[in-house]
Amino acid sequence: MKDDKVLEQALLARVARDDRLMLADAVLLAALDGSRPLAPAERRALQASPLTLRRFRHLALQRRAAALQCRPPAANDAWWDGSAGMLRAAASAAALDELVTDDGHWTLHFVPDEDAGWQLIVQLDAQAPFAGRLLRERTLLRVVDGGGAILLQGRLDADGECERPWPFELAPMAHFQLYGATFAIEPCQ
Amino acid sequence: MRLPGTRYQEHGWEHVRKLLGRCSLAVFARQAMDALLDPARRLVALDDYLDAMALQLRAPRHHAQAAMPGNSYGDTAGELACALLFELRAQPSCWDGLCAAVSAEHARHGAFWQGEAGHAMLRKKANDMYAVLRDKADADACQVATGRPCTPNRMYTYRMLDTAYGEIARLFANWRHCAAQVADILGAEPGLVSGGMPAAARQMHTIADCRAEWIIRWSATLERHTGAPGPLHTRSKRFASLKNQPEAIAAMLREIGEYEALSANMGALGQVRGDEDEAALWLEDYWRVVAESEAAHGVDHGAGDGADHGGEAAEAPVPDMLDALLAPSGGGLTHDGGDDGEDRDDDAEREFAAAGMAFDDGAGDEVSLSPGFVNQAEQVAAGQVTAILAGVSLPVRLAVYHALLGARDDSYPDAWLDPATGELPSLRQLAVLDGISMPTLRKRRNEAMALLSQAAARGADGKGQR
Repeated sequence: MKDDKVLEQALLARVARDDRLMLADAVLLAALDGSRPLAPAERRALQASPLTLRRFRHLALQRRAAALQCRPPAANDAWWDGSAGMLRAAASAAALDELVTDDGHWTLHFVPDEDAGWQLIVQLDAQAPFAGRLLRERTLLRVVDGGGAILLQGRLDADGECERPWPFELAPMAHFQLYGATFAIEPCQ
Repeated sequence: MRLPGTRYQEHGWEHVRKLLGRCSLAVFARQAMDALLDPARRLVALDDYLDAMALQLRAPRHHAQAAMPGNSYGDTAGELACALLFELRAQPSCWDGLCAAVSAEHARHGAFWQGEAGHAMLRKKANDMYAVLRDKADADACQVATGRPCTPNRMYTYRMLDTAYGEIARLFANWRHCAAQVADILGAEPGLVSGGMPAAARQMHTIADCRAEWIIRWSATLERHTGAPGPLHTRSKRFASLKNQPEAIAAMLREIGEYEALSANMGALGQVRGDEDEAALWLEDYWRVVAESEAAHGVDHGAGDGADHGGEAAEAPVPDMLDALLAPSGGGLTHDGGDDGEDRDDDAEREFAAAGMAFDDGAGDEVSLSPGFVNQAEQVAAGQVTAILAGVSLPVRLAVYHALLGARDDSYPDAWLDPATGELPSLRQLAVLDGISMPTLRKRRNEAMALLSQAAARGADGKGQR
């Protein structure tokens, strides 16, 4: 029998009249990351206020979720396990010439070629924290659409770019709209 | 309307309100209503009410209503009603409000709940209580999610603005048929509107596009068009100052709009539901933070003086883990509750007689448990709660689980469940198992809960028992 849920409720479901947030987020976050332990009065305030404890719970879980997303914490500059992006609604009418990932590190360029097709160029921002490692290791990458189809696969050149013909009959804009309007760039394992 | 953390602010609230109203009427019909008039018995009456409501909510005749959607996070009306009952236990001031309203009515009309007309009055009072409680619960949840202060009044104001926006959007969509009112809202000449809507109004797609001055003018001119004054312009003082603060209105409209856009993304909605491990994860952080604070600043028992001599009654010492482990069984526990000083079990027995009469008809459908129940259940009870509540009988401990997690929870071992229902035994069954009266069971349960929350808050056992 795991008792955490019942202990959690015992703490959070206490009667506390006129309860309010007793401590600022900065105080709770500094206590969470160990940079500044709570002063005795702050500790008592936290222990006695279910609402402040609930805020603490929220921040603690948020912090753990964030830590999970940017693992491993030791190599904070080099880690990358993919970037995703989506088609912007504002671009609906115009022809598609470029897309940027949500993290801003990657740009897809769409350049019309002579045969009424397109060239697809994936470009890594040289300022991206993981740029050095990716260029050094010449990691094999691919660009996939929302349906999981591979649009491009290859290694970055010294300029941080990789160019391939667009693999479909359908124009890039129409294709993305058909497959969830999302895309991702990921390392091949 | 959705705001960070809120669960009770969408259209599904109507189902929750109706469900709680119906169940309350059924419960009040059997409850000793006199107890609500007596401030000394109100908390016991709240216990009676909460236990009876938990049973009533699961009655088959409410299944259809309980299955209705309560919000867009996937909570049913029944789940939200149940969650609000847990909130009520933690917010007894809402119950005090209901009791005060019942007392005032009683002072004017006597035992009004006995008559047919009394049902409507009683239902109205229950509705009022839950209306306050849902805004309180959501205002608290909003503070937890954002870290910014929020009050029930502010929650009510958000909802008023959201409703006003809905009205304005309806009028704009139907502008050909209500040109005069739309012109008043836009502050334009009626002729201007009949020629076509201004671009700003045409482009209003979400509440964030709605301008504060439209809300103010809509409210100011509502009486002229419908006969009823607008919410910012009633005689009541509630929103009187808001109509002179368009910036405040605009900021609130923007907040609603921003979160609506954010939460339209299902990923954001998914995060609202906690998973099983969350309690373990954040408690680990909490106990670490408490331990680090104590390591850095030392442990202070009641600021260093008086704690051991009982000199300062106001500053009740918090029992530590050792106290908890050494505590004598049953009623020997001490805690800082003000509501159980001298009155011991004989008072409780008298109340039991009254409560027993009031609830007799609920007892028939309960089967008594097998004689080996306590032994079998005890064998699977281990861990922190058992350690903290050493010396507290198993039925009282199960009553604690009952109050904190409900009769049904995935974490309960099978040996704790009544085979007939698949749930924890009812409070009445637990009292019988322990050979004590219901009021005594509740008193001991409350003492055990206080002990548990104090031990959890101190966190002295954070590592050793896990």
